[in-house]
Amino acid sequence: MKATFSTYLDSLIPSLKDLLAELSKSFDYVSILSTDSPGFRVSISNNQKAVAGKNMTTERGTVIRVYKDKLYSEVALSEIDVNNVKGEAERIKSILDNQFDLLKETSSKVYETEILKDEPLTLFKEKETEELPEAADLEALTEKFDILCKEGMKTIPGALNVIVTGISTHISKVFLSKNRDLRQSYVYTEGSIAAYARNEAGETKIYHEGVSGCGGPEIFEGLSDVVKKAGKVVSDLLSSEHITPGEYEIITSPEVTGLIAHEAFGHGVEMDMFVKERALGAQYINKRVGSDLVTMHEGALTDESVTAYVFDDEGVLAGDTIEIEKGILKTGICDSLSALRLNTNPTGNGKRESFSHKVYTRMTNTTFDSGKDTLEDMIASVKKGYLLEGMQSGMEDPKHWGIQCIISRGHEIIDGALTGKVVSPVVMTGYVPDLLGNISMASKDREVFGNGACGKGHKEWVKVADGGPYLKTIARLG
Amino acid sequence: MTFDLIKNKLDVLDCDAFELTETVTRGYEFYFIRHNLDQNRYTEIKSYTVNIYKKTKDDNGEYLGKASAELYPTYSEEDVDKVLSDLLFQATLIKNPVFSLNDKPLEEVSRINPSDLKELSRAFIEMTNEVTETENKDMNSYEIFVKDIEKHFINSNGVEYIRNYPACVFEYVVNARKDGHEVELYRIGDYGSCKKAELKKEIEDTLQFAEDRLVALPTPKLTDIPVVLSTDVQVEIYNYFKEHMNAQYKVMNISDWELNKPICDAFEGDRVTLEAVKYLPDSSYNFDVDTEGAFINDRFLLKDGVPQAFYGSKQFSDYLEIENSSNVYNVIVTGGSKSEDELKQGDYLEIVEFSDFQVSAIGGDIAGEIRLGYLHKDGKTTIVTGGSVSGNMVDAAKKMEFSKEQTQYNNFKIPSITKLYGTTITGVAE
Repeated sequence: MKATFSTYLDSLIPSLKDLLAELSKSFDYVSILSTDSPGFRVSISNNQKAVAGKNMTTERGTVIRVYKDKLYSEVALSEIDVNNVKGEAERIKSILDNQFDLLKETSSKVYETEILKDEPLTLFKEKETEELPEAADLEALTEKFDILCKEGMKTIPGALNVIVTGISTHISKVFLSKNRDLRQSYVYTEGSIAAYARNEAGETKIYHEGVSGCGGPEIFEGLSDVVKKAGKVVSDLLSSEHITPGEYEIITSPEVTGLIAHEAFGHGVEMDMFVKERALGAQYINKRVGSDLVTMHEGALTDESVTAYVFDDEGVLAGDTIEIEKGILKTGICDSLSALRLNTNPTGNGKRESFSHKVYTRMTNTTFDSGKDTLEDMIASVKKGYLLEGMQSGMEDPKHWGIQCIISRGHEIIDGALTGKVVSPVVMTGYVPDLLGNISMASKDREVFGNGACGKGHKEWVKVADGGPYLKTIARLG
Repeated sequence: MTFDLIKNKLDVLDCDAFELTETVTRGYEFYFIRHNLDQNRYTEIKSYTVNIYKKTKDDNGEYLGKASAELYPTYSEEDVDKVLSDLLFQATLIKNPVFSLNDKPLEEVSRINPSDLKELSRAFIEMTNEVTETENKDMNSYEIFVKDIEKHFINSNGVEYIRNYPACVFEYVVNARKDGHEVELYRIGDYGSCKKAELKKEIEDTLQFAEDRLVALPTPKLTDIPVVLSTDVQVEIYNYFKEHMNAQYKVMNISDWELNKPICDAFEGDRVTLEAVKYLPDSSYNFDVDTEGAFINDRFLLKDGVPQAFYGSKQFSDYLEIENSSNVYNVIVTGGSKSEDELKQGDYLEIVEFSDFQVSAIGGDIAGEIRLGYLHKDGKTTIVTGGSVSGNMVDAAKKMEFSKEQTQYNNFKIPSITKLYGTTITGVAE
């Protein structure tokens, strides 16, 4: 079935077009993004249950971008008086005038930027889904999650609690400018199993894994497989040891590969950072940053994941950018205003946390291409090292190309074989070109994961996905 | 759609209880690149959060289910009816042990004193213009968020409050450069006001850190050396203690701490005393009541490493049979037994900048990549960068020491330095 476009937005669009026309009398460029995205979040644990008609991506509201005197300004509103569009236009102008007065009083200079091109485009896209979140059978879902929770409590050793969570959002957005009328509607869904378990030494270990994709609540079916393998993973975690710090050969699982893609070169080539001269990547275009095995894609078209939109929050069509090709850094990703400042083209990566937040250059799907090796051959090639699985968190450092990844567990490999010893947690740090330059094997398979959220610095949380194959490289672990 | 319209519908809904909160957030935002305005923004966002509670029974007992939704001001009356009807059904699907909502009438907690967004913004902008910069160290970029948040709450027991409060966020990046090499440092903080002099000093200290990073050497392999923390990352440490006193963590079996029983078998260092307070000067969380309408009372959560009182929402407080509980926003950690100078004796690694310093509030795992540290060893000080620190709070809590002197990071007033023993430092020097 189609993910039908919001009837609310349908009814609002004529007034938005009137508002756009009214504001265009006072500004050189005006665009409007309006959203209506209902959804739900269900969470069932051993001793606590919750259902809510909201989650991190549910929203309804409008943001207006205007341009005058080389400056872009925005006003985000949860409601617009559709019966008094002229009055609303005056209110917006008055609000901004108040800010312009302050800027004059503080002698603030403007970072001058050219006007957006606003090339004509009309688009209407409703993506496919098997089910809409609004029509989900929450009774059946809570019962299913309850069964999964009980199964987890029974099979996971030392389980203190098991939390089964499901999130689904039906996103509708319209982007309007003088020459553009773009409308899209799609659904994304993610589910996860989190387990807390404690061993006899009093150490609490955390397990977290999930399923996700561009589709409806049917995606939750995959959680049954997740809970089945949780017991073994938690058992490994509870008996894990601390790693001896040092440099090791490592094999990264697709999830950890995705974390490296995201932290190493995902953030590093967000080109709003080029504008601020905050990214070393700007100096390495067409230079080697990895081994020949490293080809990296970024774009909403790269995978049908949780962030597979049709156009971004600035009305730019989604793309599939090859950032690194056979080890050579080719380009970054770019929002519209950064593209103007850098005299390049936007790549469809202008994203907002919600309608009320500013656009930044943001990642969508960030993935490494597959190789030709098998995991078995990769393990057999390791003299002393670890197979790393499960991501906890990561942090970017585009200015210096440092990388920090906190990984759930490492399986020891000695002389080409897994020893059964597990270390946890593992802090992986290093210098990005070294990490990517030492990639010597890549597996044929490839997976993409979309259960995480990404911040810019420590705020502006958006949905992203990342992944790739198993990779063999060298890293410092602690 | 209005607050009253929703309330009137809730009054006649066949639920056992409800809570309704209207939130209106007005915000000024200014984004600067090298002191030039990148973009200015205004936000005005209104929404309504509704919680519907419904009792159910089965052979195993009685339950109280809660279903929540966010309603938007552009909803039609029909939209509201549909949402409330859905919530009423959804609440019957949720089988949680019975608890009650707050029922103590509130007096003198309706305060409307809107923040002056323009003047708050002016203070931040002027402060950034007063920062001392040189050719070799300056501010790269900064973002100023100034908000006035107004909340109107009511529940089915008649508990009601209206309040508004300022909430500011200031994020900045500084650069230092030498001989064609440039480094940056990143900071972000929450503020209830703009204390210009203190913020200016913090930025100038960060500029100095950046300059030091230019000449930093790779962190060597280190064993058995204590780690000293002296910046806002310490909040992560003390938040671990705070969260372990959260009734929800207790109910969810994440916290195994028990009242009147020391959190460690044998302390070798300072013992944490953690007090929840209603009012902390310049915090952006100075409320008379929590979001559910419970009075916030000053009280000790931990005293000398011994749990005194769990805190939390009414639901989880009821489960633990805690009287006069509430959520906690502001905390004070009492100073330790030694001064800063005494703690900075002997060999130690002071880390002032991490990529991202984390302490898992659940498992206690400590992890962070070192961006800048000062290694004090054998009477010499070496500026270092790279490598990581890791460990666990279960072990660290036994031996940690902290200073008599205190400092404040928004809603956390904590010791100005914290010294950790037994953590693992992974060096990067060959």
